[in-house]
Amino acid sequence: MNLFNLYKDELRGFFKSKIMAFLWIGLPVLVIIFHFLQNTSTDQTIPFTWLSALIVSSIGGTLSAVMLSVSIINEKSRHVYELFLIRPVKRYEIMLAKFLAVYSCVAVASLIAISFGMVSDWVTTGTISHAVLSSAGESLAISLSMIAVSCSAGVLIGLVSPSIIVGAILVIYGGNSLSVIPLIPNMLEVADAAVFTIGLSGIVTLLLLAVAVISFNRKQF
Amino acid sequence: MKSGNVFVSMQNVTKKYHDLYALHNVSLDIKEGEVFGYIGPNGAGKTTTMKILVGLISDFHGEVKIGSHKMPNQRNEIHKLLGYLPQNVAFQEWRTVKDSLKIFGKLSGLDDQEVEKRVPEVLDLLDLTTVCDKKISKLSGGMTQKVGLAQALLHGPKLLILDEPLNGLDPLSRQTFKEIVKKLSNKGTTILFSSHILSDVQDVADVIGILNHGKLLQFGSLNQLKQGLSAPKTVEVLLSTPSNRWQELGKIKGVQSIEQTNPGKIILTLQSEVDPDDAINRIGKVIIDLGMNIRGISLLSPSIDEIYINYIQGGQAQ
Repeated sequence: MNLFNLYKDELRGFFKSKIMAFLWIGLPVLVIIFHFLQNTSTDQTIPFTWLSALIVSSIGGTLSAVMLSVSIINEKSRHVYELFLIRPVKRYEIMLAKFLAVYSCVAVASLIAISFGMVSDWVTTGTISHAVLSSAGESLAISLSMIAVSCSAGVLIGLVSPSIIVGAILVIYGGNSLSVIPLIPNMLEVADAAVFTIGLSGIVTLLLLAVAVISFNRKQF
Repeated sequence: MKSGNVFVSMQNVTKKYHDLYALHNVSLDIKEGEVFGYIGPNGAGKTTTMKILVGLISDFHGEVKIGSHKMPNQRNEIHKLLGYLPQNVAFQEWRTVKDSLKIFGKLSGLDDQEVEKRVPEVLDLLDLTTVCDKKISKLSGGMTQKVGLAQALLHGPKLLILDEPLNGLDPLSRQTFKEIVKKLSNKGTTILFSSHILSDVQDVADVIGILNHGKLLQFGSLNQLKQGLSAPKTVEVLLSTPSNRWQELGKIKGVQSIEQTNPGKIILTLQSEVDPDDAINRIGKVIIDLGMNIRGISLLSPSIDEIYINYIQGGQAQ
């Protein structure tokens, strides 16, 4: 019950501080900008759907990690958590609610961006090829699993970083390191690369969250 | 109702930050329904004590019990009993006053109906109704402090721990706060609060603790602290008409020194071993014998400021 209340509260915070609007409108707008830039610079046109999937996969993870780490560092340094920690709430619920809220917001933004790409393709060409749909779907699934990894890394970085600058540096370092996850199936020559990547992302997410929860439980305020 | 049972107990609590003792073997018992005023200079360890009591600091030595529960092992049970106002209360920037109270009410275990009932009551009690839809980040420091108090009172906790609750409050709000504290104490709520405004502590606290350099120097009622004071006892004599024979009062047995601060106002300092009531009787008789017209005679009681300064400068440990 507390987890649900905290999750709703985080979402309310994203709505009131206009984070939701920037994410849900900003990502499709970014796709449009890239689409026009691509049209003016090359003769070859990448389908809107692919482009949106590409943008989601390239910035979705960093966006989530930055959102979470900055918000946690900021709230931690302002002693915002004290009023939560003195209530009958499990400490892990506070961090899990943050993780879920950012994940669901970025996931919805990604879905909106890709849906927007698909609708645009359909309107401009009258059709969407099966190949485009299938690769965009696979890319979205991998992106969502990588966003989960980034979110959990963001929580951990937010908890251990003493300042926003250190947090930003760790997010950039961590982002680069975590981006090897989708490459591992190719390196290991795994047959079903997408499923392997999603499974591995799930495990890494759980591990990072577990470390974050242990760190938060031990933290003195 | 006040039961007289110990509700908050700290036994030999020690907390170190590297080599520095924030608290050193602090022991204190606070009874149910008692108001405990915690005073001491900045950095004395008051906030550390409170953070240990509310479970924000768990790596300490010693034993802390609230009700029948031990901190930190039964932290969750204790959290159901307490309301806490931190020294620098902070809220997320997007929060409105009402938003905050609603979520904190729910997290404290109130159901939706109770939240709907209690939030307007607490807003009204602290005169926050007109700003209930405003963002807390847009409020003044004093108003933010009131919101902090509101979240601590909201769920009717059995123990209130308030770190500098009067910070930034105007005189009217301070008065309201003191009335709330007295009312809650009468209903059986145990209250522990710290303050630098000693007169406010004197007004509401049943028991006072003086802390310095992590050590509890004194603990007791105001009267007990006065009795334990090593400062000389003084008697003030007010005469209706000034007399030039006032120096003769200095010859009375037990009087150590005498001075006339204003015409007709004489201050007599008593020897430390003298019983002040006996001395006052003797002084009264001599004044009448000398034919002076007496308007008043009283034992000067040290103010809480004097008590505080005396103990802090003297550094006498209990």
